Amino acid sequence: MKKFDLIGLARRNLWRRKLRTILTVLGVLIGTTSIVVMLSLGIGLNNSQRKMMESWGSLTTIRIMQGMVFDDEGNPQGQSKSLNDDAVAEIRGIEGVLAVCPAYELYGDVRLGRKSGGLSLIGIEPELMGQLEFAPSHGRLLEKGDRNAVVVGSKVIEGLFDEAERRQMERGTFDFESGEEKDPGEMMNQRLALTVENMGGKRKTYNFMVVGVLAGDDIEYSYQALAPIEEVKRIRHFSLTGQSGGGGAFSPNVMDLGGAKAGRGRREDQTNDYSYILVKTAGVEHTPAVSQQIKDLGYDSWSVADALEGIEKSSRTVQAVLGGIGAVTLLVAALGITNTMIMSIYERTKEIGIMKVIGATFSDIYLLFLVEAGLIGFVGGLFGIGFSYGISKIINYFTGSFFGMFWGDESMGISLIPPWLALFALLFAVLVGLLAGLYPAYRAVRLSPISAIRNE
Amino acid sequence: MAALIEVKGLTKKYRVGQEIITALDHVDLAIEEGELLCILGASGSGKSTLLHVMSGLERPTRGEVWIKGVSLLKMKERKMAGFRRKYMGFIFQSYNLIPTLNALENVTLPLLFDGVSKKTREQRAYELLVQLGLKKRLKNKPTELSGGQQQRVSIARALVNNPKIIFADEPTGNLDSKTTEEIMTLLREKVKKFGVTLIMVTHDLEIAKFADRVVNMRDGKIIQISHHQHNQQVSLEGKFAADGSS
Ligand SMILES: Nc1ncnc2c1ncn2[C@@H]1O[C@H](COP(=O)(O)OP(=O)(O)OP(=O)(O)O)[C@@H](O)[C@H]1O
Ligand SMILES: [Mg+2]
Repeated sequence: MKKFDLIGLARRNLWRRKLRTILTVLGVLIGTTSIVVMLSLGIGLNNSQRKMMESWGSLTTIRIMQGMVFDDEGNPQGQSKSLNDDAVAEIRGIEGVLAVCPAYELYGDVRLGRKSGGLSLIGIEPELMGQLEFAPSHGRLLEKGDRNAVVVGSKVIEGLFDEAERRQMERGTFDFESGEEKDPGEMMNQRLALTVENMGGKRKTYNFMVVGVLAGDDIEYSYQALAPIEEVKRIRHFSLTGQSGGGGAFSPNVMDLGGAKAGRGRREDQTNDYSYILVKTAGVEHTPAVSQQIKDLGYDSWSVADALEGIEKSSRTVQAVLGGIGAVTLLVAALGITNTMIMSIYERTKEIGIMKVIGATFSDIYLLFLVEAGLIGFVGGLFGIGFSYGISKIINYFTGSFFGMFWGDESMGISLIPPWLALFALLFAVLVGLLAGLYPAYRAVRLSPISAIRNE
Repeated sequence: MAALIEVKGLTKKYRVGQEIITALDHVDLAIEEGELLCILGASGSGKSTLLHVMSGLERPTRGEVWIKGVSLLKMKERKMAGFRRKYMGFIFQSYNLIPTLNALENVTLPLLFDGVSKKTREQRAYELLVQLGLKKRLKNKPTELSGGQQQRVSIARALVNNPKIIFADEPTGNLDSKTTEEIMTLLREKVKKFGVTLIMVTHDLEIAKFADRVVNMRDGKIIQISHHQHNQQVSLEGKFAADGSS
């Protein structure tokens, strides 16, 4: 028998019991739809989480901070090791590490043109900046030999205000919401003056030149400024010297973030410890392992990738559960196909007998039933995919405003059907149909032609 | 020349619960090419069973069947199906047409299983149906045809693959005497024209007159063979002589 005739015959056989075939196809349609929609939710969720994480910072950067070290169960294991040059050397030796960049962080009052406000200044090795996935939107990054250069985050300007704005704020008439975008490029080639006050109450102003503005608006750096580490070290040294005069031990506007965490007792000998160390890994795939080794060495490390791994693990679980629910629905549909085909054999007993008598081989009969079942799967799968796209659109329409508000990206839906999912669903539906048809086809083959055609 | 179909010591036993039914009991028979053979006998005498075993639809318990010197018993299912498709046609009392297919499609079905192209098989089916007087009934489903018309469709289906042998099991059993006459005349004319060997089962003596030779059966045994044309009765003892003579 020719393939074309086989499919034609199968199609005819299905179509003569229209209602029953349609109901069976409907079962497959619902099964396919539930699998696709369920998986699309998992994929969409995963995707939006990933995008969100990427907005938190680079996936190839690990940040090592001073603080408590915890074991895997979350029990405190005591103070982490000091972040000094020994630590930098030790971490540089870990496999998969591309660059290690120690950083100081300090906070001070700044003036930029007519605007002023508070700013956190990070000191890093200027020549390492290029390796740490920083990219400028204006100007350039820090380079070897820079001394009084500074690169600012794109949102720094939003934290600085001029006199008029301050007066408005005092009166309470300042409109924070007014979406009047401030152009980050405005900051280029301006003088940035940082004023710090030391323990003795002495104030000193350091001048920098803005040589670049960072691209992107991730939370990590867009509100900070980066300057060469040697310069920041000097400022920090000044801020930590002098008599602890007047009232408190700290000047109100200079906060030593690294030191504050470390606690007072060991403060004196830790003044030269870094605030944190940035580690650049060779790729996303190295990040979790490097992060783990750093923890094993006794440091407190954190990376977006760590969090991503946890979230991906849990979203895999969610996907498995959702997919499982869909699979159960399709399994029920498969039982429907088997049932339909067996009923069809009872009805067509005589017909199958006749076909055998007039020369149909076992494999003709077997294929005919298999193709009929597969066709139900195929049609159900095809319509199921179409239906899924519709449902996915509806879900995204109703959740879209909510998520759009959250991630600021309207186009990013909670339900996502990539082409591979649609293809997979179709193949799966056909496969389920074929599997469901195996037993009925076997039954049809075994049917004796004689008992089928023996008169009444 | 060897006979087209040769049957030797054919025995078929059925087991129903504890009881064993002997449907065929050491049947010997030789059928010549182009012959119109009628198997006559009372109900339950084993006529249909003999037909099924000779056409390879059923395996005998004992004995042998050769068609053109080829043993049916040694044939695998796939080859047997091919054999039926190429060399055999079947006609049944209850027509056994496929209810969802129209007359034309029913007739083309054996050719479809044989992989013949749609155009060729429809051409062939059309010619036969026209010859059998069904030109105006091509698109009718079996339920939209009279018994006589349905049997004519099934005759066309039996002839469509240019078979060597047609097996007919009480082809007129459901028809009135006028239609029976009509159908039998038509069938005889066709098989003689195409040189087809027709083996026909009946318990109607009237029909036996269309045959060249009549085989009488009782209790699974052949009790008598007669040559109709010469109205010559041959006793069971002289059977082998009679076989050779026609
Ligand atoms: N599948 C079977 N199982 C058990 N017994 C069977 C089977 N097929 C036939 N028989 C028995 O074999 C015997 C011969 O049956 P067969 O159908 O050949 O008779 P027949 O001569 O064709 O009768 P009829 O004229 O009524 O069609 C009968 O006794 C019948 O009951
Ligand atoms: Mg019978």
